[in-house]
Amino acid sequence: MSDYVSLQGLTLTYGDTVAVPALDLEIAKGELICLLGPSGCGKTTTMRAIAGLLNPSSGTITIDGRDVTRVPPSRREVGLVFQSYALFPHLSVYENVAFGLRMKKSPDVDARVREGLATVGLSDFASRMPAELSGGQQQRVALARSLVMQPKVLLLDEPLSNLDARLRLEMRMELQRVQRETGVTMIFVTHDQAEALSLADRIIVMRGGRIEQQGSPEEIYNRPATGFVADFVGFETILPQEDGTALAWRPSAVELGSGPYEGRVQGVSFAGERRDYVLDTQFGQIKADVAAERPAHGIGETVAFDLPRERAVTLERAK
Amino acid sequence: MSSSVFGNRTTGLSLTLPAALFAAALFLVPVAILLSEAFVGPEGGFSLSAYSDFFADPRYRAVFWRTLKLGVLVTLTAAIIGYVAAFAIVSLPPKSRGRIFGLVILPLMISPVARTYAWLVILGRTGIVNETLGLFGIEPIRFLFTETAVFIGLLQLFMPLMIVSLISAMENMPSDAVPAARLLGASWVQVFLRVILPLTREGLVIGGTLVFTGSLTAYITPAILGGSKVLMLETLLYQRVTVARDFASASVIALILILMCFGANLVLRRLATVKRRTAA
Amino acid sequence: MNRIAAWTVISLLLVFLIGPFIIILGAALSAGPVMAFPPDGLSLQWFEKVFSIDSFRSSFAISIWLGLCSPLAALILGVPASYAMARYDVRGAELVRLLVSAPIIVPGIIVGLALLRYLVIPTGIGIGLALFLAHTALVLPYAVRVVSASMDNLRADIEEAAVMLGCSRLGAFLRVVLPNIRGGILAAFILGFVTSFNEVPVALFLSGPGITTLPIDMIGYMEITYDPSVAALAALLAALSIAIVFAAERFLGLSRYV
Repeated sequence: MSDYVSLQGLTLTYGDTVAVPALDLEIAKGELICLLGPSGCGKTTTMRAIAGLLNPSSGTITIDGRDVTRVPPSRREVGLVFQSYALFPHLSVYENVAFGLRMKKSPDVDARVREGLATVGLSDFASRMPAELSGGQQQRVALARSLVMQPKVLLLDEPLSNLDARLRLEMRMELQRVQRETGVTMIFVTHDQAEALSLADRIIVMRGGRIEQQGSPEEIYNRPATGFVADFVGFETILPQEDGTALAWRPSAVELGSGPYEGRVQGVSFAGERRDYVLDTQFGQIKADVAAERPAHGIGETVAFDLPRERAVTLERAK
Repeated sequence: MSSSVFGNRTTGLSLTLPAALFAAALFLVPVAILLSEAFVGPEGGFSLSAYSDFFADPRYRAVFWRTLKLGVLVTLTAAIIGYVAAFAIVSLPPKSRGRIFGLVILPLMISPVARTYAWLVILGRTGIVNETLGLFGIEPIRFLFTETAVFIGLLQLFMPLMIVSLISAMENMPSDAVPAARLLGASWVQVFLRVILPLTREGLVIGGTLVFTGSLTAYITPAILGGSKVLMLETLLYQRVTVARDFASASVIALILILMCFGANLVLRRLATVKRRTAA
Repeated sequence: MNRIAAWTVISLLLVFLIGPFIIILGAALSAGPVMAFPPDGLSLQWFEKVFSIDSFRSSFAISIWLGLCSPLAALILGVPASYAMARYDVRGAELVRLLVSAPIIVPGIIVGLALLRYLVIPTGIGIGLALFLAHTALVLPYAVRVVSASMDNLRADIEEAAVMLGCSRLGAFLRVVLPNIRGGILAAFILGFVTSFNEVPVALFLSGPGITTLPIDMIGYMEITYDPSVAALAALLAALSIAIVFAAERFLGLSRYV
């Protein structure tokens, strides 16, 4: 069942501005999908449309075979974890998690709240107020608040962006565990490629409201289709070819010290295992990372270099 | 067009409209009509005669100048005392600072009638001041119904506003600015003129506007402590309406008062920005 | 500034600002027939007299009613407006803000006179109703300012979260927004009560037979009598204001909103 969530011809506009023109997207049950792109690419708008917070101007959204395009947010069986968590400041952790269940007049509120808090490891924090929690704890409350509603789809807005490096790792594992345990379909949006690569089963790279490329993290990372995607995943040197395609190299793929080309060292910084160079060359600025044990070059020095064809990725287009 | 479930500008407008319409109907329209009446001549049609009549009368001119003079005097005095007081209060440890701050704003919450009435008791013929003077065999001095009494009453009424504005300005001042200037050899006068004054100018302007416009438009204090001997524009307006049913003069006074308030606002704000530009 | 100098300045300041109220209290406790300080012996007779004056009783009732009803009406108008200005990109929001806050800027006596001449006389509405409407307009700026301040501290997405969890839009406002701006609303109400209760210039022209606010009634009484009953009343009013403000500060932190 690859069309558990299906967007067809989804068009989203703000005033006269078309944020997303006719988007088609199929998502399978239990998939962990990431919408990746810079701000303004339409990823958040798309997510808000799936949540039901934004009504599309045309197109349809179906979830589990049901057309929910005109269904209000609370009856779509969709959960949303906000970037800022959006906890209710006047309610305790327990009451935050119980909020949706109480609205639904669910018969077993207490049991489900306790279960939800246990899932995110916050059983001891039930009586705390949101302001008394750390950022990571607040996010887990927000996660539990959505999960207890047993949504078919869980949406997450930049789930790791407000956390420090250590908590990111922890939260990433937490999200993957929750997804494994509950089997919920997850869609999250982010502008951070590392976040997308580490968390998603499938990445949808968006640009100007359209899908630029989609594929597994390995595909996106190793075989970007366009200059836009390549740039996003760290290919710093992109050279257009005569047939309209382009070749792209990561800084680590550039060979320094020998080769047919010459460049002048504009800047160099020491990064532990390697040195990062910026070269001024006939192709423009080129970035090259070289193992630190290789001989160092000073600023202003002219260095030979090579852009090996076998280490380049071929792109459909340079932009 | 896509629409948010939370509605859009139209929703926003429909929620603000009742308040805006209420303020317009209850306030803007009647006041505008009142002010426009001052431009209607005795035979109808546009005329400035109400103004020339008003300023032609030396008694009215005197009231105008007295109002302006008292406003300026009260504002200047409040600023001078305000700086000393605010500086003293800010130098206190936080806990007592909070308490003193509370005591300073307390009078603002108390009925101005009660506040002004107290001065009757103090400055009256058998009041505390004259009784004390009597102990030394000094003849009772007439305080009531003098400009001095009105001045004291207004000062007490509005000084808290100045102090509060200056305190918040001083609290936003970098805490090491004054010690740094002292270390660099500045005298206290130089510290005040070159460090404290520029850094608290905004507070001074806000406080100054509040005190000045407050003094211009106070009714109770000039009415009780000045009476008909020391009329100010507000008491004159009331008198013209109730005693003579002279609505033309009332409209003129109303417009003058509003212009003075807005003028003070503009001048003081300009003063603050110009000074900052030259300082930068 | 050293500590002795600072405390000297502050003591002198407080004598000037607070001293007069102590003197009122002293004068009110006087046993003599005229105002004097120090009082000629102590008695509570003037406090008793205040309660025996019929006009004070009725004007006190009117002032209390005004003080309760006008902030309530101002909040009914002001809370939706503050909410909308914080949440929506309202075209002309600045104009609305200016319009709503104008009654603070324009002298009250002018507002009173304008309403008397162009609202009360042409439409024939009662003075009492006019007074209520005028005080509502007067208190509206405080309501909008204080409620706006507490709206600004509230994130917009909690309402979206509430809607996602099953609230209607109105439900989200009532369950999630209102509880979080409750403090601001109460502070606005108290500020409005104190403002309305103490207000003189607007009420000056908007009073008629049988309808007078307490401060106006006091001014009238002072013009004809010079006995300490007004001092007793002034002392009572001061005590009432202090009690309200003290309680509000204690339970709400009122000064955060002023």
